[in-house]
Amino acid sequence: MIKWALIALLAVFLVALPYLGLLPGWTFSLATTVVLQAVALIGLNLIFGVVGMLAFGQAAFMALPAYIAAVLTELGLAFPVALVGGFVITVAVAGLVAGVFVRLPGVYLAVGSLGFGFTVEGLARAFPAWTGGASGLVFPYGRALNEHEWYVVAVVLLVIALLAYAWVVSGARWRCLRTIRHDELAAAVLGIDLTREKARAFTIGSVFAAAGGLFLALYVGVQIPEDAGVTRSLEQIGTILLGGAGFLFGPLVGAAVVNWLFVVAGYGARYELLIYGVAFLAVVLYAPDGIMGWITAVRLPFGGLLDQRNSVSEITVLPPTFDQGAVAAAAGNSDEICLRIDNLSRRFDGLLAIDQVTFDVRAGEIFTLVGPNGAGKTTLFNIISGILAPSSGTVYLRGLDITGLRVDRRAPDIGRSFQVARLVPELSAKSNVLVRLDQIAPHLGERERHHLALAQLDRFGLAMLADRPVKELSLGQHKLIDLARAAVGDPALVLLDEPAVGLTESELLHLAAVLDALQRRGSAVLIVEHNIEFVTRVANRGIVLDSGRPIAIGPVKEIFADQKVRDAYFGALT
Amino acid sequence: MNPLSQAVASGLMSGAVYALLAAGLVLAFHTSRVVNLAHGEAYAVAGLVASALSGYGWPRYAALPAALLAAVLFLTSLEHFLLRPRRDWPVGSLILITLATAFLMRGLLQVVIGVDPLSFPRLFVGPPVRILGGIIPLQGIFLIVIGLGTAAGVLLLLRSPMGWRLRATAENPEMAALLGINTARMRLLAFGIAGALGGLGALLLVPLVSVDYQSGLGMTLRGFIAAAIGGMSPSWAIVSGVGLGLAEALVTTYMGALAQDPIVFLALIGVAVWQSRTIMFGGSVRA
Repeated sequence: MIKWALIALLAVFLVALPYLGLLPGWTFSLATTVVLQAVALIGLNLIFGVVGMLAFGQAAFMALPAYIAAVLTELGLAFPVALVGGFVITVAVAGLVAGVFVRLPGVYLAVGSLGFGFTVEGLARAFPAWTGGASGLVFPYGRALNEHEWYVVAVVLLVIALLAYAWVVSGARWRCLRTIRHDELAAAVLGIDLTREKARAFTIGSVFAAAGGLFLALYVGVQIPEDAGVTRSLEQIGTILLGGAGFLFGPLVGAAVVNWLFVVAGYGARYELLIYGVAFLAVVLYAPDGIMGWITAVRLPFGGLLDQRNSVSEITVLPPTFDQGAVAAAAGNSDEICLRIDNLSRRFDGLLAIDQVTFDVRAGEIFTLVGPNGAGKTTLFNIISGILAPSSGTVYLRGLDITGLRVDRRAPDIGRSFQVARLVPELSAKSNVLVRLDQIAPHLGERERHHLALAQLDRFGLAMLADRPVKELSLGQHKLIDLARAAVGDPALVLLDEPAVGLTESELLHLAAVLDALQRRGSAVLIVEHNIEFVTRVANRGIVLDSGRPIAIGPVKEIFADQKVRDAYFGALT
Repeated sequence: MNPLSQAVASGLMSGAVYALLAAGLVLAFHTSRVVNLAHGEAYAVAGLVASALSGYGWPRYAALPAALLAAVLFLTSLEHFLLRPRRDWPVGSLILITLATAFLMRGLLQVVIGVDPLSFPRLFVGPPVRILGGIIPLQGIFLIVIGLGTAAGVLLLLRSPMGWRLRATAENPEMAALLGINTARMRLLAFGIAGALGGLGALLLVPLVSVDYQSGLGMTLRGFIAAAIGGMSPSWAIVSGVGLGLAEALVTTYMGALAQDPIVFLALIGVAVWQSRTIMFGGSVRA
């Protein structure tokens, strides 16, 4: 609510500002330009500021609609149709560019978007008959409005854009996008479809760029190839960083400060690039959160309200009752085989990390994976969770072959914790747990998911910490939150990578109780753990690996009594 | 004049430069995890410094080494002063630092040198050579020979004890440090070599074309495309650098210079689609 009120208040203030004459040089034309630029930059803020994708060609997406509209008009389309056409085609192109590049590591998108910028600028120069060439595309259609009317149009557009942005990044989507930004691997394991989410964010961001750019072209009346160029795109990255990447008002503040400074400084055209460069570098090095970060940090009045980054409204009351079975995994009878590893091998170049491993884990069973360092335990975990593909062999989950299934598609059935907890530090403990619930239980309402997440934290004795940002908590607490997250929703299979490391005795008791509860609900639990005492206490059966080969399998007490195991595992001690 | 052999000749010339750039980019990437977006600025710095100094009347034997030194100093300073203190930052932030540095260098070159394209006299003057109906200036022949020779020298260097230390730093910095390798010095060395290779490319190519303050990013782009096609392996990056130069020249010859940027972009899309076969978290890919 506060966010909406703030946006409304801001709109009133913006409309009044040029009339008030408070700022020297803050004319209608400057104000309109700033506001329209801010509309376009909201898109870059989503792509780069929120999700952290390196998109270095957004100026091209701003300039493209006007160019396409000009071409379509030349081809004989009515002007309004051509405008819409230019907008739609631009967004489609953005979707294609995203589809090609977001599957790969971030730097591919960085260079791909740079290349796109060069291409659009080059084409604009190459076809002067269509685009006006170097002297610019004349786009005289905006003269129908006077400067006051234009200003109102711009502010209305900005308000719409801010509302749309606030809606796009609210609740579950904010948690999802910040998780992607912080840790793509963890995001995928939690069930986030990285390619889809990143492509979607890039395309939505480009909608803002195309809309803002189109209106800017209409307002200014001329568009030159440089407007599409790489320099302009990189200046925009600098503007976002200066304003505050990922903050609701970051783009507006950045655009206002940059444009106003250049007006006040009298447009030292020769020094523009250098000043940008110095400011850009200084912000990247010393103030990664920009002006908005500084405003929220010094706690100005209302500063906390402006901190969009933590302002997800959270429900903290535990309901008297909640439906435990709502997302519970379909509990099988205890004889059902949950996980079957069939003749699995994985080779890394010359090294055989997993060598023909076969075993079953039954539903409702706690199964442990034991072996000295380098035995292949983590490799096996990575294959089961889908991060690595096996060289040969098959993984079955409840009788289904999941060997080729993508990581994120396994999330509803497989929960996984990590050796070192992989949480998003800026999000609360509850939000971190929610990220997984958002993915595996999208049919539940936000409120129900909050209840489930809180109940899950309560099982681990963490309910008191639910709303604290994870970065304020201790490492042991991180570990427990990671475990709570892996087990939330009672997946058919829970993979725990050294869960007991770093836990206190009372935290271990919580862990044992939760494992017990999981077992009773029919989940299978696979544990890698070096704490032999803990493992013998909680696990039913286990397998011992040595250099990728299974050397013993059976009830825990028996495998630890086995002489081969004692030699492999404790050899160094005896 | 035979357009095909002419295109091949000019393709080999720019290809040799792209190979140098790609080799440097790969070297710096492997020791530091960072794709250095300021890499091409080393080319622009060397080209513009050499042109400016020649313009002031400096003799060639002073101007060219000074230009090379400027390129090396630029990239080593980037590594030493900006990247090294921030080793624990996420890679994305480090890439942003290199981008901001590229921007700063562009602005600096614009203010100090100006916006006009510059050039300087050729090192190797003589009658152009005719090969198979194509005409190559003597400088071009030397460019191809020296460029590819230096690139091959880098590959040899990687097989020397020094090269093993570089590769160990790339493979596992912690382990390399435990083995007594000064990894910080190795990274500095890699950035220095990268600067020298980029600068050398400029010294050989700029007399035939020209350079301005905006040339750097385009060179980064081409170096990266070659490196990416080559799967970030030094030897393949050199091969694909030459290939990229040839492709560009053929496109320019048969489709016009204006088709260059779109073709480079299309090549990049091709690389991306090809690399997507082995996407990282794609369980469907059987290794």
